[in-house]
Amino acid sequence: MMKKVVEVIPLLLLLFFTTHATGKRYGPPEKPALTRCRSPEKETFTCWWEPGSDGGLPTTHALYYRKESSETVYECPDYHTAGENSCFFNKNDTSIWVNYNITVVATNALGRAFSDPVDIDVVYIVKPNPPEKLMVTVMEDKGWPFLRVSWEPPHKADTRSGWITLIYELRVKLEEENDWEMHLAGQQKMFNIFSLRSGGKYLVEVRCKPDHGFWSEWSSTSYIKVPDYFHREKSVWILITVFSTFIFLIITWLLHMNSHSLKHCILPPVPGPKIKGFDERLLKNGKSDDVFSALVVPNFPRASPSNYEDLLVEYLEVYVPEEQERILEESKDLHDGCLKSEISRSDSDSGRGSCDSHTLLMDKCGEAKEKERQADRESGRILTETQRHQKGWKEEAFTYAHAMVSPDMSGGRVKTWPSVFSPLPQYSSSPLDKQSSLKMAKQHSLSTSSFLTQPGNSPKEALGTSYWDSCLSNKQPHLLQPQTQVHRELQARSDVNISSVEHKRATEYVEVQRVNKEDMVLLQPVVSGCGRMEGMHKGEDYSKREDYSKVKGLDSDNRLLLQREVLEGDRCPCVDQEMTGDSCTSSTVCTTQKPTACIYTAMPVQEEMALAVNGYVDTATMGALPTC
Amino acid sequence: MEKVLFAVLTLVYLELSRRVVTAPMCAYGQAGCHVPSLADLFDRVIQQSSRMHGISSDLHSEFNKYFFLRKNLIGKRKCHTHGILTPDDKENAQRLGREQLTDVILRLLGAWGDPLSQLHWSMSQDHNQDFNHYSSNKSLEISDMVHELRDGVVVMTEKMKLLGVLGNTVGYIAPDSLVPSSAFSFYTQGELNSMDHHDLLYCFRRDSNKVKNYLRILKCTTLPGLDC
Repeated sequence: MMKKVVEVIPLLLLLFFTTHATGKRYGPPEKPALTRCRSPEKETFTCWWEPGSDGGLPTTHALYYRKESSETVYECPDYHTAGENSCFFNKNDTSIWVNYNITVVATNALGRAFSDPVDIDVVYIVKPNPPEKLMVTVMEDKGWPFLRVSWEPPHKADTRSGWITLIYELRVKLEEENDWEMHLAGQQKMFNIFSLRSGGKYLVEVRCKPDHGFWSEWSSTSYIKVPDYFHREKSVWILITVFSTFIFLIITWLLHMNSHSLKHCILPPVPGPKIKGFDERLLKNGKSDDVFSALVVPNFPRASPSNYEDLLVEYLEVYVPEEQERILEESKDLHDGCLKSEISRSDSDSGRGSCDSHTLLMDKCGEAKEKERQADRESGRILTETQRHQKGWKEEAFTYAHAMVSPDMSGGRVKTWPSVFSPLPQYSSSPLDKQSSLKMAKQHSLSTSSFLTQPGNSPKEALGTSYWDSCLSNKQPHLLQPQTQVHRELQARSDVNISSVEHKRATEYVEVQRVNKEDMVLLQPVVSGCGRMEGMHKGEDYSKREDYSKVKGLDSDNRLLLQREVLEGDRCPCVDQEMTGDSCTSSTVCTTQKPTACIYTAMPVQEEMALAVNGYVDTATMGALPTC
Repeated sequence: MEKVLFAVLTLVYLELSRRVVTAPMCAYGQAGCHVPSLADLFDRVIQQSSRMHGISSDLHSEFNKYFFLRKNLIGKRKCHTHGILTPDDKENAQRLGREQLTDVILRLLGAWGDPLSQLHWSMSQDHNQDFNHYSSNKSLEISDMVHELRDGVVVMTEKMKLLGVLGNTVGYIAPDSLVPSSAFSFYTQGELNSMDHHDLLYCFRRDSNKVKNYLRILKCTTLPGLDC
């Protein structure tokens, strides 16, 4: 013993000095530490330790153990099976329910180090191997698929004899997800997973644990792909949704297309007021006085409305392609009770706004406000012929027309001439009955003549006849009628002089000579071309101006039979101003001319449709029957 | 008077019509009684032993946490049941056979009935209220369980004998016949202290594990099935 020590001491000293000399420290090893001991099947177990620093010297480790209630120290039987720094206890060396006291010793040249002792009981350190033979299959249950997972316990763990009892746990997740779904399976070795996603790829893993021990590692992953399935219920719902969306879209489109007509159907437009003289705009403005005052119709109700014929309203429609003028006239009582005017077609107010009715003022919707103040005015487009004898006439007529409609005239009764023969715009389209038109014209002329025969009539009372030949001055343009143009033509063409005007006879034409300053219309029988303006229509011979003819009748061939009358005497007073000597001359010519009273046969009707359209009978164009 | 007579007659009638029959216990398979099968008995027993072991394990770990004691036995002390030879590995256990295994089980269970009662009593007497309140309930529980389990194993043994699975060599084992009555004194001479409690718990925990394991082996050797 002593010898050994003696031998060792110099060696140690040598080592000590060498370490000092080289600057490197050598020392005894640090004490190791037992990290863990595990048993996979409760029959064997293994312990691992962690060595400390070796102190720079080669160090050996040894494991020593002592069993419970025994003083014998055994060394680890197997250092290699379990790898580095481990000790494996095989079946023979393993006792269950026995307390092991294990210590690891690290030894190097300079010393040894003992680890802390660890007491273990193998029963409590069991950590089995992962389950094996993991199988996943897709099965179907009433159309719904599910996963059937089955496995085997680790082959080392003897569960058959009941020596070890394992409980299992598995986890599932979709391939693209991160979270696992855990399922505790207990002691069974098979498990069903429901609620799968169609067409999804699943990962399945399983692990096990003894009753009182540690969980094993997760087994190797098993992949399974769920086939695509289209569940019936969902598909039905999807179809229903798609169809209803389509239908909804179609209905919406249809509604949008027909929104206008639907609006008409559901919310029909409210017809405007048809009260004569009632103005909506006045209501909006809030001036109730004006509104209601306009409603007030003087001389209404009429004194003797019993005879409906007294309320004759005659309508005349003259077509003026260039401009529209409005002539307001009132037809007073006719002496000739036979005359009956054709009252304008009653205007049914339904379904049309106020603007749509042609019986109302035409300019109500857009023209000057002043024109709307006339209460009993009825709208009518009165058109004159494009060609005028004189431009001045035209202007005067125009101004006259306008003047007529001015508010200054509000005092008088004014009436417009609504269309008689046809709806307003369709002057050209309606083939008129010549006879009726002629009658109209005749009536018109008669009525006007009757009107005009009353002297002293206020010119403010509308003079609407075109048969009148007015010798008007420019200063009094308001008396000018645009219809005189037509009258002019008639005059020009007619070879028959109109007999002298007899004021009391309503059947004769008269000629408006002029209006004097007292606003009196001076009448003059159409004898000669008094007040004739220049520019005869179609350049006809001025001398052969045509006067109004007396209509004798119609023959069977729809020909107008006219009768010329010889003018007796010169009754044409010369008109001053523009009516220069020409007129007189012409009149003189007229008188001297002494045209034969002939009745000219009427020309075929078709030739002069224009005039017929106007409603006037152009005797000249109709021709005359030579009845001389 | 008539009412009284009527009442009396009614009571007599009811008395005669009603017969109280004492139903026999079903332990021995009388007719009309549902007798649990051996498999059921095994399952019940195994469940009970597993629960018992779980509670004892909890109690032991609580004890360790509370008192910072080491898990192993202090010193070199042994459990009082060390005299009962128990197989310490699988081969030995399988080599024993059913009868001996059953015998070992019964012995173990019998050995612990009394000490656990003592433990319970001792823990309830302890002045450390926080811990003992929790542990005294548990100790009472395991004490009761041990008794129940032993009775259950006895019934099962009888059943097995009846079925011929078990030989007759397993005799009726008196509860404390093989364990010295002074079992408790094994641990301490006087009153139990905390250390004693700990040792007791440690020993019981291990023994309950043994019982559980032996019962399972017994079941799997007797009734091999899916569970094994």
